[in-house]
Amino acid sequence: MATFKEIQNTHPAITAYLHRLVGDEGMDLIDKFPENEEHSDEDLAAMTDINLNSVRNTLYTLYEKRLAEYRRIKNNETGWLTYLWHLEGANIEPAIAQDVEVVLGKLKNRARYEEENDFYICKQCGITITFNQAMDLEFKCPSCEEPMDHFENELLLRALQNRIEVIEDSLGLV
Amino acid sequence: MTELTEIEIRALKAIKSSPDGILQSELWKELDVDSRKCSRIVKKLLESESVERIEYRQDGIKTYRLIVRKGPIDPGFLMAGDELIPCVACELECVIEECPFLLDWMYQLAIADAGGKE
Repeated sequence: MATFKEIQNTHPAITAYLHRLVGDEGMDLIDKFPENEEHSDEDLAAMTDINLNSVRNTLYTLYEKRLAEYRRIKNNETGWLTYLWHLEGANIEPAIAQDVEVVLGKLKNRARYEEENDFYICKQCGITITFNQAMDLEFKCPSCEEPMDHFENELLLRALQNRIEVIEDSLGLV
Repeated sequence: MTELTEIEIRALKAIKSSPDGILQSELWKELDVDSRKCSRIVKKLLESESVERIEYRQDGIKTYRLIVRKGPIDPGFLMAGDELIPCVACELECVIEECPFLLDWMYQLAIADAGGKE
């Protein structure tokens, strides 16, 4: 079975996705996490030289997506509990699939908004507003008061619709 | 793979219309065909790998729940060029219509589409 890091390296989008979740220090932990081993957060902090709080934050963030999981063991003499963590590479694809479904809903909402509205842009400030908002402002930029120009959003809309279509196709929704 | 007939396409649409799919015992009523004909339609859809079926018991009677088969998810769906969509792990209150970060990403998407980069 492929390891977490092997799966991570199969697509730049997976690396970008993980980086967004856990940041630079989190990626450092993933990079230094011994393959197919389980360790406590304190051991991981010691062996990677990453701050313990940062190790914990990363593990909890990964755990929310089931990309890290733990096994709890109890010391019968002291009664202390130790959590042994490991990375769960098999859950990367399901986690991304779940996010893709959420993203699909957002893209559809945005595409509908782009389709239903006419837009005006200030070429000085880059501010874009709808026709109704522009009407209220007498077609002057709300920031610099320069006259606003019609903004053609056709390319943006088409790009959104293309992406929606390939996602829906992949999810078997069309 | 043989092409689907009109009735098979109607069946596929009925199955896709709900995320939970449809019971085979409901499908033949919806298509207005008898259960034997429905079984043949379902067999064709199963062979085309566009749907899968899960055994289901309704009032003690065995039937099947038919659900659409999902293809593998390409992680690249979240990318526009080299940019990951800002919605992943976003902690801001979501106003999707006016999100400037999504707008930036949409520009990247349009550029990538135009350049055939992806």
